[in-house]
Formats: sequence, C-alpha cells, structure tokens
Amino acid sequence: MQTPTFPSNEPSRLNALQQTGLLDTQPEQRFDRLTHLAQLCLGTDIVLVSLVDGDRQWFKSKQGLDVCETGRDISFCGHTILGEGIFEVADAQLDNRFADNPLVLNAPFIRFYAGVPLVSNGENIGTLCFIDSKPRQFTDKERQIATEIGKTIEQEIQDRLQEHAHEQLAAREEMYRSVLEGTRIGTWQWNIQTGETVLNERWAEIMGYTLAELEPITIDTWLSMLHPDDLADSDAKLEDHLKGKTPFFNDKCRMKHKQGHYVWVHDQGKVISYTADGQPLMMFGTHADITQQKLSEIALQQSRDQLYKLTQQLPGVVYQYQSWPDGRSAFPYASTAIKDIYGVTPEEVRTDATNAFEKIHPDDLGLLVSSIQRSIEDLSLWEIEYRVSSDNNAFKWLSGSATPERMEDGSTLWHGYIQDITETKKHYLQLEELNQQLNVAQQSLDLASEQAQIGYWQASLKLGTLWWSPIIYQIFGLDEQDIDPSISFFKSALHPDDIDIVEKSEQQARITGIHNVIHRIIRPNGEVRWVHELGQLVSEDQNPDLVMIGSVQDITDRMKLQKVKDDFISTVSHELRTPLTSINGALNLLQSGKIITLPEKAQKLMDIASSNCMQLSRLINDLLDIDKLAAGKMQFEMKKLNIVPLLQRAIDDHQPYAQQHNITLALQMDEQLHQSALYVDEHRLLQILTNFLSNAVKFSPKEGCVTLSATVIDNDIEIAVQDHGSGIPDDFKSRIFEKFSQADASSSKAKGGTGLGLALCKELTAAMQGNIGYESEFGSGARFYVRLPIAK
Amino acid sequence: MQLDKILHVEDDESIRVIVKMALVDLSGLTLVSCDGGQDALTKVDTFTPELILLDAMMPGMDGLQTLIELRKKPHCQHTPIVFMTARIQQAEKQQYLDAGAVAVIEKPFDAMSLGDRLETIYQAYLASPDSDVTE
Repeated sequence: MQTPTFPSNEPSRLNALQQTGLLDTQPEQRFDRLTHLAQLCLGTDIVLVSLVDGDRQWFKSKQGLDVCETGRDISFCGHTILGEGIFEVADAQLDNRFADNPLVLNAPFIRFYAGVPLVSNGENIGTLCFIDSKPRQFTDKERQIATEIGKTIEQEIQDRLQEHAHEQLAAREEMYRSVLEGTRIGTWQWNIQTGETVLNERWAEIMGYTLAELEPITIDTWLSMLHPDDLADSDAKLEDHLKGKTPFFNDKCRMKHKQGHYVWVHDQGKVISYTADGQPLMMFGTHADITQQKLSEIALQQSRDQLYKLTQQLPGVVYQYQSWPDGRSAFPYASTAIKDIYGVTPEEVRTDATNAFEKIHPDDLGLLVSSIQRSIEDLSLWEIEYRVSSDNNAFKWLSGSATPERMEDGSTLWHGYIQDITETKKHYLQLEELNQQLNVAQQSLDLASEQAQIGYWQASLKLGTLWWSPIIYQIFGLDEQDIDPSISFFKSALHPDDIDIVEKSEQQARITGIHNVIHRIIRPNGEVRWVHELGQLVSEDQNPDLVMIGSVQDITDRMKLQKVKDDFISTVSHELRTPLTSINGALNLLQSGKIITLPEKAQKLMDIASSNCMQLSRLINDLLDIDKLAAGKMQFEMKKLNIVPLLQRAIDDHQPYAQQHNITLALQMDEQLHQSALYVDEHRLLQILTNFLSNAVKFSPKEGCVTLSATVIDNDIEIAVQDHGSGIPDDFKSRIFEKFSQADASSSKAKGGTGLGLALCKELTAAMQGNIGYESEFGSGARFYVRLPIAK
Repeated sequence: MQLDKILHVEDDESIRVIVKMALVDLSGLTLVSCDGGQDALTKVDTFTPELILLDAMMPGMDGLQTLIELRKKPHCQHTPIVFMTARIQQAEKQQYLDAGAVAVIEKPFDAMSLGDRLETIYQAYLASPDSDVTE
C-alpha cells in the first residue's frame, strides 16, 4: 500500500483549511444537497466532501457512508490533493498503491475511486470524492459533471465564509450599538466642508431635546449650546486637531441644557477622511454626559481645598508616610507645615523620605526606626517623641502619632500628625525637675516627720474626709493598708473622756482658725497614747469645704514626764502654800488687833511681814501660771462675755488697794461697747487687768488718777490702763515683757512686784488671740493695753 | 438660818489653830476641829455640823475619800462641804465641785474674812435646790 505523501505546501494548505471554518461542524444542507445531486447524477455508492486534515480526512458531507472520518494514511483523498485534476482509480484491487488498503480489503470495499480537488485560497483543502464497490471508469461527461459539482462546492465554501463574515460584522455592529446605548454616549458626524452635521438621539437627549426638536442640525447647533467661557478653549482644541497637531479632538466643556442649566460633556472625535486636496472632510465623534463625574471632581477639589485650609491652621504636619519592604520610604502626602517640622517641602519628600530622616537627632534615630519597624510588624499605633535639628544648631522636640495600614503591594501606609512640642517639653522637663525637688523635699519632710514622730493631716470638717501621712498610722497603731481614715474613724479612736475637748477645739477653730488640743487616743490593742494636735482652718467664705490642715505628734513620753513634773510642782506648791497659809493667817489675825493689841513698832513689823507674805504667795501663783503656759497645759474657758460688767468688776476689786495708795480709779467706755462682747476666758482677762491696774496704782504719784478705758478699734476692743507715773525708762522698753524683768532692780522690793506679771499677761493675751502693748514717754506716765477680737 | 456649827478637817496643826481663831474668836461660830478623815468620821457621830470645811490634801484618807465616807453617814448626806486647797488649778477645783463640794477656798486664805465667806457660801447653799435644810 502506498501512503499518501505530504505536499510541500502542507502548512499553508492546513492554514487554508482552518480558515474555512468547516472542520468538525454540523452537516449542512447546502453541501448535502450537492453531494446527493452528485450521487444521483453519477450513480456511485458513496459521495463525500472530504477535508484532508493533518492526520485524518474528515467528511463535511457524506452520502452512502456512516463514518465521519478515517486516517489520512489510508486515504485515497490524500493522493488526490497532491495533484490538480481528477484523481481516478478504476479498480483498486488491481492497483498496487491500494490493493492491500484496509478500505479496499474491508468495508466499504472500495474498488472505484474518483476525487476532484477542492480549492480554497489557492490550496487543495480536500476533495469531492466518488466511491463504488464495483470497478468502473468515468466518462468524460461524467468527469465534467464531477468537476462542475466540485466547483459548486468550492463556491458554497466561499459563500459560507462570506455569510459568516457578514454575520460577525452584524453582531459586532449590534455590540457597538449596545455599548453606545449602555454607556449612554451620544455620537456625531460632521462634514467639515459642508457643515452638515448628524447627531444621534442620545446626543440630543443629553441636552434635554429630541432630535426632531433640534432640526435643522448644523455645527451651529453645537456651538450655540456651548458655555461662553468654554468656547475659546474648545475652539482652540478643535483647530489643533484639524491642523493635525493632536491625534484626537478631546474636550471637556459645559453645554446649555434645554432646561437652562449647564451640563458637563466630554467630546472626543477624529477626522476620518480628507478631500483630494488634503483638507479634512469627515469627522466622527462621541458626546458623553460627565456632569456627575465633573461634580465629583469639583467636590473632591473642594474637599482638597478644605483639607489644605485646615492643615494650614494646624501647628503641626498632617501627613501620610509610606514604607516599602525594599527599604524605600516616602511622604505621599504632607501638609506644608512639614517645612517647619523637617525643613523640607512636601514635594521634596513625596517620593523619597531621606531628606526628612537626615534631620533626626542621631541619638533618637535608632529609637525612631525601631518604633516604625514595630508598627509595621504588628500594625500598632505609632507614637513617639523625638528630636530633629532646627536652625542654629538647636534641636526641636517633636511628638508623632500615626495609624498604619497595610497596602496591597506589601508596603505600609501611615496616616498621622507630627507637632512641635519643644515648649511643652521644656515645661515638662522643668516640671519634672521641680517634681524631683518636691520629692526630695517630701522625703526630707517624711524623714523629719518620722524622726520627730510628727504626722500631718488634712480634713474636711464639712465632708468628713480625712487624709493622714504615714506616721499618723504608726501613732494610731494601725496598718496603712487596712484603714481608710475619715473624721468619724478618727473620733472612734479618741479616748472617751477627751471627745469633748477635741470637739470643743474644733468649734473654737471655726471662730479663731486655730485648732490646738492635747488629747488621748486608744490604739486597737488598747494602749492609750497622748497626742498633740495643731491645725489651721481658713474661714468658711474662702474655704467652703472647711478644709483644716494640721499636724499630730505623739507626746506620750512627754506627757509622762509632764505628769512627773506636774506632780512635783503640785506637791511643791502645796508644801509651800501650807506653811504660807499658816503664816498668812497668823499675821492676818495679829494685824486685825481683834485677838491682841500690838505696840506700834510691832504693828509696823507685822505689816512688813504681811506684805512679804502676800508677795511670796503671788510669786508662787505666777510661777505656776508661767509654767502651765509654757507647757501648753493652761486650759482656757473661752466664753462670749459682755465687757461692761467685767471692767466694772476690775475697778471694784482694785478700789481698796487704790484707796490704800490714795489713788483714784476711773472708768471710761465707748457707748457702743454695751452691745459688744469678747470671746475670752474671764478669769484670765481679769488676771491681765489686775496686773495692769496694780502696776498703775503702784507707779502712780500720791493722789494720782488711774483710768481704765475701753474702745472699739476695727474688729477689736482695746482695753487700756493709763497712769501718770514716771513712765517707762527707754533702756527697759525692750525687756518689759520678759520674765523677771524690773525697771529698777530695787523697785521690786520697793513696789512689791515679782517681775513675772507682764510676761504672764503677754502669754495670756496671745493664748486668747489678742495683742498686748504699751505707750509711754519717760516722765509722763504709761498706757498699757490689750486688743482682743470682738466676738461675732 | 445663820451658820453656827462647823466641822473643820485639817492635818496641819498651825492651820487648825488659825481657822479656830478666825471662826471661833473672830466670828463666834461653834467649831469642832479634826486632824484627819478618820477623826472626822468619829466626831460626826457626836457632833452634827451645819457645814464641813475639808482640807483636800491629807495623809492617809484624803479630802475626797473623807467626803465619800462622810456622805455614808445618814445625817451628813446633805451637809454642805467646802474644800480648802493649795492646789488652785481650775481642773482640780472642778474635781471637788464635781464630787459634791459647794465651794473651794484657796490657800492661803484671808483669815479675817473666812467666817464671812463661809456664811455667804452657807446662805447660797440654803437658797439652792440641793439644800434639804428647812427652817
């Protein structure tokens, strides 16, 4: 068997076959009708339109055969396509090329074969072949018929191709039409030479019209709708295109809508033909409504403008910073303030941030880079304070904060804000230094407080809140962790017998501003401790919560010593007074002359003894008072007192003593004093007045006058005693209120003073929130006074 | 009613003598002197005073203890008691007043006016609601 060879033009032949688009398609009547006609005309068993493919022959149309393809190697048609005319085999059994061909030996048992080559695009793409199971030979007539039918089939193949091309064209046009409809784009055609213009319905619709309404349509239809402000620009663009300067006409402009408003349109077009002398002839183009897009652009621009204005108002820089895995970084956006921060313009760092990084303080660069790295890794908020160099070798402190976002390309984009905090930082550093100093001071205070066992506290008498320093917890035998102190808790720790005096002192503090009390507390283990509390309260109008601040000191040891001392003093005073009582009593009785009448000289001696006995008694009393004052143990019974009866009593008490010295006592008072009261300890105020009066009587000349007066001065009452004695010597004035001071060392003996009286008066006055003083010119008497606050 | 019968309790003999002179010789009152609390408790069994003048500081039974014991005697339950003390601090005085004394006289006292002072104290006592003495 002879296998058909491949022709030398096999690739182009196969290409021509492919282009027919026939392979593996459905049977078609146009071919089947012709093969059937051929079968009828030429009377063969089988007629086929066989297309010779690379390794097979495939039958587009077949009559008398069921299979649709066979191998090319056993095909007869493979031989036919090698030549130009009909290839005929009269009896295959007798032909060496085919005698052992399976198609000969088996079904369809070919004996006769005739093939007419089918040509398309100049290549033999296949055959119209005739097959019979009996030997045979075509007549010339039959050959002519076969050839004609072959040509008819070739024509059908060409017609079929054209039909397909036409269909594709129609489909494409349909597609373009759909696209135009779908995108709502208008179209136009313009004959530049005649001015004739064709628009589509959509063009008119964009402008609010129907095409009919726009008739007659010329280029002026378009020009008349153009916004006057856009006319020049559109014209220039058209001119440029018509002159060939631009490949397309491309213009965005405003055109007037039928309803009077303007719509934004995008016109694009191109000259597609020219006249014989090279003038542009026809121009086609599109016309799209871009109002929405344009409005969005305008809105975008407006928000950009707003952003710009806003960022201009900010002291720092608003920015986007982007970092790529390959190490590049940039500021895609930065407000103009970046110039103040990094000394670079937004443009200088838009694609490369290196310029900005060069400004960072070398000591902070490492920290900054690692903070950025950390933010990249876990997309955490980037926050850091760092320094950058500024002018004249100084550094600025910056505070940055930005939120990262991972981009599709693997880069990280931060949106953030950096501001100059140099001033704040400076203040912060100063504050930190002050804080450190404060800490040192606080530590010193704590140390001192611990050493001295003095705690300090702050309490609100109105809110009942209380704060204690650590020492107070120790004093109260408590653990700081276990107790949240309050005023009620403090009261619960008071010794029951001392609650009254503490509350009394608090009440007094509301008037005088001073809280000063010694009392006992009971620790949780039952131990009793003595404490001294000293507090200060600003008046309620300036201190609405009645906050009192103060100290507390554990004085248990001191109180123990005090008690020893008190017992001693008590004993001594008792031991001194008891014999004094006897001496005084005995002298009284003798002096009275009622028990026994004494001779004149003895009487004089009795007077001396009696006077010295009284002085000794006063000395003991004054000493005890001074001691009590110094120890803070003197208790004052402060009461609101009307001053008038008090002064009267002072005068009455001293009348006998004054008479004894031939001195007149006078009382002078402001009228308004009848309505005034003092807040004092009556007994102690009398003690002061007694001192003043007895001194005045003592130092007055015979038959002199001593005046007790009281006057209101501002918020005080001044009580004064005026004498007309010799006054106070200048060199004594500085020591007058000191203990054991006497103007003249001999005067204490002459006038019978202890030298403690005025010192005691000063202490007593101070304890009652008053002032003491005197006015005197040597030789013209003295005036001693106390000023005490008027009780409200 | 005028004060007449007084019980004086005092450990110091000198003072006892002076008080006796002042009250008996100068003021003409009836006085029984005792040298301590125990002595007083014995003597009130035979002498019913209208006023007791009691020294605060005494060895053994002091003034306050003596007051408590005296109050246990039915006829002394309401007898006005005046303390006499050399401890003149206010708190101490208050202690005696709180214990039931009607007055406290400081040492040294004025011997010449002692009788008058006790009379004044006694009259004030009679006028007070504490008094159970009826005329």
